[in-house]
Amino acid sequence: MQSVREEESSSIDQEPRSCGDNSVWAHVSPLLSAACSDLNECELIHGDNFNLFAAMSALEIMDPKMDSGMVSTFYSIDEAIESGFAPVPISSDRTVDVQCIIDIMDHLLACEATWHMGHSLAQTVFSCIYVLRPERTSSHALLHSFCRVIRATCRALVSVVSDARTNEEEDLFTMTYGLPFNGDEDGKGLLLLNAVEETICRQLRACKATSSKRRVFEARRKANDFVFVVCRMMQNWNLYKLIRNWKRAFAKLCYAGYVFHFLHALNCMRRPQGRGLELARKHIAYCIAELESVLSSVEFLSLETVENGKNEMEESTTGSGRHPIGFDPNLNKRLSAPTPPRAIKLLSWKKVGTSKFSAIDYYVKLLHNLDQICAFKLEPDLDAVLQFVVQFQKSRPDLVARAHLQLLLVQDGKLYGRDTFLTICARSLALDVTKNHGLHLNEYILQLNQLMINLLKILCANTPWQRRKLGKILNDWSIFNVQMGITVGHMMQQVTTPRTPKNGDKSALILNHIYGWLEEQIHWVALRFLVLGFDLKLYSPSEYCMVYWYMYIILWKLAEKAHFRVLIIVHTEEQKAKKKEDYSRDMAREDRISLWVLLLKCQTSLAQGLTVMIAALRNEGMCLKSQGPFNTENEKFVQHFGLLQKASLPKYDAYESFSESTCHARLDYLPVYECFRDAQKMAKEIKVGYANDPDKLAEVVGLEQVAEHNIIAVNLLCQDRCLKVSFEFIHHPHFATAVVRRS
Amino acid sequence: MEQVDAGGSTTTVAASTSGESGLDPIARVRKLLFRQMLVGIKDGRFFLGSFHCIDKQGNIILQDTVEYRSIRRSSPSPTEQRCLGMILIPASCRTSCHVDCSIEEQLSLIQLKE
Repeated sequence: MQSVREEESSSIDQEPRSCGDNSVWAHVSPLLSAACSDLNECELIHGDNFNLFAAMSALEIMDPKMDSGMVSTFYSIDEAIESGFAPVPISSDRTVDVQCIIDIMDHLLACEATWHMGHSLAQTVFSCIYVLRPERTSSHALLHSFCRVIRATCRALVSVVSDARTNEEEDLFTMTYGLPFNGDEDGKGLLLLNAVEETICRQLRACKATSSKRRVFEARRKANDFVFVVCRMMQNWNLYKLIRNWKRAFAKLCYAGYVFHFLHALNCMRRPQGRGLELARKHIAYCIAELESVLSSVEFLSLETVENGKNEMEESTTGSGRHPIGFDPNLNKRLSAPTPPRAIKLLSWKKVGTSKFSAIDYYVKLLHNLDQICAFKLEPDLDAVLQFVVQFQKSRPDLVARAHLQLLLVQDGKLYGRDTFLTICARSLALDVTKNHGLHLNEYILQLNQLMINLLKILCANTPWQRRKLGKILNDWSIFNVQMGITVGHMMQQVTTPRTPKNGDKSALILNHIYGWLEEQIHWVALRFLVLGFDLKLYSPSEYCMVYWYMYIILWKLAEKAHFRVLIIVHTEEQKAKKKEDYSRDMAREDRISLWVLLLKCQTSLAQGLTVMIAALRNEGMCLKSQGPFNTENEKFVQHFGLLQKASLPKYDAYESFSESTCHARLDYLPVYECFRDAQKMAKEIKVGYANDPDKLAEVVGLEQVAEHNIIAVNLLCQDRCLKVSFEFIHHPHFATAVVRRS
Repeated sequence: MEQVDAGGSTTTVAASTSGESGLDPIARVRKLLFRQMLVGIKDGRFFLGSFHCIDKQGNIILQDTVEYRSIRRSSPSPTEQRCLGMILIPASCRTSCHVDCSIEEQLSLIQLKE
């Protein structure tokens, strides 16, 4: 039998007493020992409700993986402070104090970036005692205000991500687990920081004592190592020390400036209806400049440590390579959750050697993404919004940027908090709904509003989650489409009968147009669903044929619907122009949508060409069949496209149609060439239209190259059936180019 | 009631005719099930929860447990508490074990039948 300690605890009196009179704590260790010795092997004493499976989830005490209450270095934060773990001031030597402050600022920024990337606040930003207890640092202006502003920034970001509810991935992001997160006091941090900045500026000016030295500083600002080497060679210690002190002061100033402008940018971006975006852009520009300055200053300062032989720069969280003072990630173990948090690795401060991503890289990317959002012109044009979101997502922005985008687009159930979706939808059809007040309360319009809000939120999410949700909402949209179709059908029948009031006519017509527009949007969502499969690498090369076939039918329908919309717009505008002499048609909108229709047709041709080409190669045995050892082709088809078929996209049996249309394909079959040639011709035409839009132009050039190279590939393959072919995404991320090799 | 019983023997305890204090230890421990139990462990922490299970090695499972620990190494010091849910306390780290009971019961619990 396992030995059971029978020593009594001496401090039993300090422990909680059970409630109730006449109750005491009875010492039962001997009784338990006796009972245990009487038990047989594998026997348990338990009650009726005991469940062994449930008991397996019990936390095991004193197991480091499960017991977060185990004592590590310090029993508590107070004990850590009392033992001098986070001194204020950090050192009595001013030089060392400044060095340490810069290390702390480096490390805190690395911690914040790690938090953004998906780890808990408790293990990152709040692993700093100075941030946990900011009131201790009130004698040290820079550290105090820096910590306060960091806390205010964290609060602002937690608020944005919570409001956007995009925390489907980094669930830890918004969990503060009882960490001190006071609002008002941290807001004063900005004022304090402002004062500190002014002080440091004065110090900097004092540093630049003589005009000759000023010239040296300004001229050599970028060439830090050169200055350093020159000074050391000249044994000009005084000059070297002056430069070094200047650099330290400058680094502090840049850090202070960076956090100051970053918090201001966040506050501006939160202003309703996008009113603060322009100002936010200015703050973001300052942030980028300050970060560059920080990098150059701290690089200079880090040369000292390298000189001294410390080569632990690899993956250090500080520019100097030194370990920062006042950080202990284990202090908050108990706050994180009942079980200990998983071990995390902080981002390195700067990319060194083979490390993939650094904190500075992260901030530069974040700032550029935020700038992209702020630069977006808030046009009440749904096509523009959807295209912007798709383009924005290409750079794989992180959670913080995406949350800001979502909050900008959807506020109070309206686009930008300003325009109802009925207005937006009507604009994309050139319809005027201002006189149809009743429509805003129509149940279909209300439901459409909800569907659109949901769609925009999904489009701002991360790619895997986005694709999954898009697949699911297709069914909702499809059902809604059917219901609306029935109602609108009835309404239109009534419209054709005489004696219907004029206002009723207009509502029915508008709803009818919106019903048509709805079909176009469903196909847009379906296309996005298919295309994201390429981004997520969900398709194996043996499945490309069926994927391109599906893309072809969806694109074809989408182009048809969009073209129909253009016709409606042209017709409506012509009618308006006839009624009003001075009516100015929005030709730009018509041209824009027409160009987009042409782009869709170009993509349709490419998809068709690729379907036929890959089917031909498969039929002639030159390409992998999509039948594997575990699944039939039909099963794979259903796995990939089941959700689309369920949403009646298309209405007929897709697999049957796919099989029929591809089983007879041959390489020397003319349509293969025709599709690619059509795509090439259209691409040339579209390039002219997108001459002023570099992103769109780049995409169209890519499509043109895909068409060109595939024509060449088909020619080669026709002449020599022994060549090897593979499909790679060289020119476009979604349309493959056939790469032909000898063997 | 689930029986985890590899040996093939039963865990039912025959009712003793000699009164409560004459019951064998297993039956008496069974009576302690679902009571509030306070377990002290090696590093000075205490766990208060309802007694759920014990095995032959003396490992205890408590439900709806609250952990009490002191904020300083030195004693006396204030304690802080937090809720843990279901926990397993290995026999090797257990230093003490107390059960909440009435004064009358206390005698029968601490008395062992040899």
